[in-house]
Amino acid sequence: MTDAAIPPGKPTPAAGAERTDRLRAGLKRRYAREGRFKLYGLLAIGVAVGFLLLLLGRIFDQGHTAFYAHTLTVPVYMDPARIDQAYPQGTNFEQLVAEQQLARLGIADDEQGTQSTAMRGLFSSELKFVAADLIRDRPALIGETVPIPAPLSDDADLYFKGEISRDTPADQRRLSDQQLAWLDGMKADGMVTSHFNSALFTKGDSTEPELAGVLGAVVGSALMLLVTALIALPLGVGAALYLEEFAPKGRITNLIEVNINNLAAVPSIIYGLLGLALFINWMHLPRASPLVGGLVLALMALPTIIIATRSSLKAVPPSIREAALAMGASKTQTLFHHTLPLAMPGVMTGAIISMAHALGETAPLLLIGMVSFVPGIPAGLSEPTGALPSLIYIWENASERAFHERTAAAIMVLLAFMIVMNAAAVLLRRRFERRW
Amino acid sequence: MTWFFLPILIVASIAAWFGARGLAERRQRGIHAHSRPAQFGAWALIWTAVPALVVLIAAAVFGPAIEGSLIMGGAPEAVSELDPLRRGAFFGDARAIGAGQPATQIWPAPYAELLPAEGARVAGIGRMLDLGTVVLAALAALLGALFVFSRIRPDMRARNRVEGWVVALLFVSSAVAVLTTVGIIASLVFDSLRFFASVPIFEFLFGTQWSPQTAIRADQVGSTGAFGALPLFAGTFLIMLIAMVVAAPVGLFAAIYLSEYAGPAFRATVKPVLEVLAGVPTVVYGFFAALTVGPAFREFFNGLGALLVGGPLDGIGQYLMLVQNQMALVAGAVMGIMLIPFVSSLSDDIINAVPQSLRDGSYAMGATKSETVKRVLLPAALPGVAGAMLLAMSRAIGETMIVTMAAGLAARLTLNPLDTVTTVTVQIVTLLTGDQEFNSPKTLAAFGLGLTLFLVTLALNIIAQRIVHTYRQQYD
Amino acid sequence: MKFKIFHAPDGANSGSGDTDTRVLTPPPVLHSADPDAPTKITAREVSVFYGDKQALHDVSLDIPDKTVTALIGPSGCGKSTFLRTMNRMNDTIPGARVVGRIEMDGEDVNAKSVDPVLLRARVGMVFQKPNPFPKTIYENVAYGPRIHGLADGKPELDGIVEDSLKRAGLWEEVADRLHSPGTGLSGGQQQRLVIARAIAVEPEVILMDEPCSALDPIATARIEELIDELRERYCIVIVTHSMAQAARVSQRTAFFHLGRLIETGDTEDIFTNPRERRTLDYITGRFG
Repeated sequence: MTDAAIPPGKPTPAAGAERTDRLRAGLKRRYAREGRFKLYGLLAIGVAVGFLLLLLGRIFDQGHTAFYAHTLTVPVYMDPARIDQAYPQGTNFEQLVAEQQLARLGIADDEQGTQSTAMRGLFSSELKFVAADLIRDRPALIGETVPIPAPLSDDADLYFKGEISRDTPADQRRLSDQQLAWLDGMKADGMVTSHFNSALFTKGDSTEPELAGVLGAVVGSALMLLVTALIALPLGVGAALYLEEFAPKGRITNLIEVNINNLAAVPSIIYGLLGLALFINWMHLPRASPLVGGLVLALMALPTIIIATRSSLKAVPPSIREAALAMGASKTQTLFHHTLPLAMPGVMTGAIISMAHALGETAPLLLIGMVSFVPGIPAGLSEPTGALPSLIYIWENASERAFHERTAAAIMVLLAFMIVMNAAAVLLRRRFERRW
Repeated sequence: MTWFFLPILIVASIAAWFGARGLAERRQRGIHAHSRPAQFGAWALIWTAVPALVVLIAAAVFGPAIEGSLIMGGAPEAVSELDPLRRGAFFGDARAIGAGQPATQIWPAPYAELLPAEGARVAGIGRMLDLGTVVLAALAALLGALFVFSRIRPDMRARNRVEGWVVALLFVSSAVAVLTTVGIIASLVFDSLRFFASVPIFEFLFGTQWSPQTAIRADQVGSTGAFGALPLFAGTFLIMLIAMVVAAPVGLFAAIYLSEYAGPAFRATVKPVLEVLAGVPTVVYGFFAALTVGPAFREFFNGLGALLVGGPLDGIGQYLMLVQNQMALVAGAVMGIMLIPFVSSLSDDIINAVPQSLRDGSYAMGATKSETVKRVLLPAALPGVAGAMLLAMSRAIGETMIVTMAAGLAARLTLNPLDTVTTVTVQIVTLLTGDQEFNSPKTLAAFGLGLTLFLVTLALNIIAQRIVHTYRQQYD
Repeated sequence: MKFKIFHAPDGANSGSGDTDTRVLTPPPVLHSADPDAPTKITAREVSVFYGDKQALHDVSLDIPDKTVTALIGPSGCGKSTFLRTMNRMNDTIPGARVVGRIEMDGEDVNAKSVDPVLLRARVGMVFQKPNPFPKTIYENVAYGPRIHGLADGKPELDGIVEDSLKRAGLWEEVADRLHSPGTGLSGGQQQRLVIARAIAVEPEVILMDEPCSALDPIATARIEELIDELRERYCIVIVTHSMAQAARVSQRTAFFHLGRLIETGDTEDIFTNPRERRTLDYITGRFG
């Protein structure tokens, strides 16, 4: 322990003072660096939070206009010369209404029908069905003048929402100066009313933006999640129970564990390829069906559920198991009577979160065929259907501008569902959380 | 048909449960038996349901192969002589016609004439197999139930039997996870091999021309398309790089601030916000990238270009004027934002795993917080942070929706972030979402890309998880 | 899958400090305190709160320079808490609050004008478990001079590192592997490395929080010798569980119990002739 040179003596007071000066000299610079470093951290969090606000703000900004729509109520003279009472669907009501509207304004249509085509572009093709249905139900109306309500066309609707501006040069906007003048006239006559866009929530997809809704996709997503939950929950919980409670600790269990961790990190599109090859091409299950979608999402959700279940099983103290075993319960009875019920809140929380994640998953759905236009509301597990995220993708790709606001609205619906599911998970955790 | 059989099976199993329970109750009366009557019920239920389910699952998995060989066996000569891809398409259409749906393409003679008859034959084979499956399953259920009912005696240890079954079922559940991996590998490898049979693997990995579009007409001579995937790898790499440039520093600094500087209240507010950011579906990020970030970036660069045109940097100005919405920078930047919460929560865990004694040691030396972080915590956490970054890279490479919606389709070998590039995942989606028959090289190419993607992400994940695991053990 | 097993340094998990198994060490030699030593640190009515809980009650104590002062007492008695008030390490614990006055050379260390960074450069600290940074031996010792900017250029830094390692009695063992990781040393060596790290910034006071509780008897003996040598230059305050250790290394002893200072005096007096009943009970092993 006697190292050769222990420097002698105590430092002189002068040396001590010099040292203190030196320490002080560096201090300002060090604190400046400290401040900068802290600022970088705050900035990083600011970027993340700011981006989230920007994202949500932009989506609300783009999407809130989709929640209301404009209806045009035109008086229509049910011309007996043009309407076949036996077959009202055959009548070209759109042309009829356009001509009557032009006549009211005292405008003559030309040979090519340019004016009436322009007029027809202002209201939705839905008008035809509204009028035809009315005549079918009440044939007596033929020969009368009846007010017919129908959605405005998507472009006219956008004009009243302020999305199409007169300041834009006429050749760069979808509506001509004349059409805008007509719309202003209709508005002044009180024919245009604004109301909640119920079509968005009560209809399936449509090629006409003003008639398109998310209901079909919502039902499709719900059916898919049902299949996912029915398959992934029992399998995931079962697998976790086996690995945590029964599996002999060894090489194979270890391998399964590594395997599950890796599965959780496999890109989702790979699951889409698996679904395409296995369920559609090999097992000939119907393309784009909730059944196949649910199966693919179930395989994706499986590792997450296994991991969540295992960690909540681990959190149950061994003393509970020992107490039950000491009472003479078998291993299985201990598990199903004591351990699993205690771990259930954690299992459910993990399951809901992984379901919420599956709800937003898009890429695998595209590969199993959910990229095509599916009108209407799906009624079964093996019918082609859309899903909310794939609907968002399809609408985003659509060329009509009116689909943009509806895409944002569909995103808001999707996020609302996810928020509800996550809130349920949080509530569940708060309500049943147990600290050992 | 099997869908109608399932409810019947469920009812039968429940009936078996009640029946066995009642029988056991009667036979055990007055005797101290090992197992409760309900356990006999459960035993009967399992033996009724499981054998039938095994038959049904086996039929779902192996049925198609049997059906395929039956269809092949009776095929007319003209059809047998077709090359495998066309033959597959022919029977696909025959199946559609047999089910009363239209064919997907117009067949020349003599195939058009053969289709209706073949359709009927194929449908007949399908019906026969369905019927056979159901009969076999019903028989299995019956035999299983008989087996149990013949053994209901007071000294029978039904509980042990049931528990054995439960453990077996749990084992099967965990085997599904493994089977998923096997399934992924099998489906990718199988179709990739078929792809590499027509496109040499070397050409695929190192070729610089990617234009699968021409391959739609596979029957035409000399238009097999070009499948050199190097531009896709370059595009994927470029976008991943941009994403990491955004996500790595921001995520790491956010994690450092949260774990070392923030008070409990601040943490409790910011962490949920980051979780929300992590929970936003990628299709939403894609929408935002395509309709907000893309146009904003284009306007910025076009404006910048307009300023430079005519000046000394005229060439650059001209180029910037032509920048499009879809550029690598947009997809990469938005993907980077998406990865911030991922990087920050992983790094947070890792920084927190550094023992407090090291922080104490540094503070006791008179180090400031930032000095402690930079000189002690980060060097100590380096392996863990590196693992987290690898996981984030794997995420970025496999991410699909943002790039599909914001990166573009042009396969270009470039490292210019303002260019339109395409990625492996974008091409997989593009190749598989068009309307073409399944067996063309174009669709098979998607599986080749999928296999490459799977192997690369798997390697990254395994390495990352090893590193993180070893790192955590060091401080346990 | 093969995992690397992280080996504990040899003997790091030998018996904890309070069971006196140190058969290898010589019988205690009681050093007498130097009555002329000036007072380095003065504590007056120091109390520490962790949230609502009071961990230390009105402690007043004078700590002389160039002397080893031992703080003894059963676990949870507040001795470590008191130690950490002297370099304001309690600042790093959220919710900790210190009241009372602690003066070093007549200056209040808790004053607003005193920078904890500068204070800690003057007051070094050694912890219970050796905590070398996961860096090389050289970088561990150079850490303090680097962050405080105490060395101009590499030669001076090299000098400081060598000097500190020599004073910590570690130079001969590590001179040929200065650039291998500090975590690769044995427990006792790690603790001496940490001491070298602390003295590299030329502190005036060294605080030691049970520095030998994780070490085997031989390593403990070396640290104790080292403490005795360091006494020449520094004011040393050591918290210890082991009364034998307090008797061996210290000249002054303060006995803490339940957050209060019970008795203080020359080590010789405390161990041979305590004034307080509780002190006697403790040192004779009736509780602890």
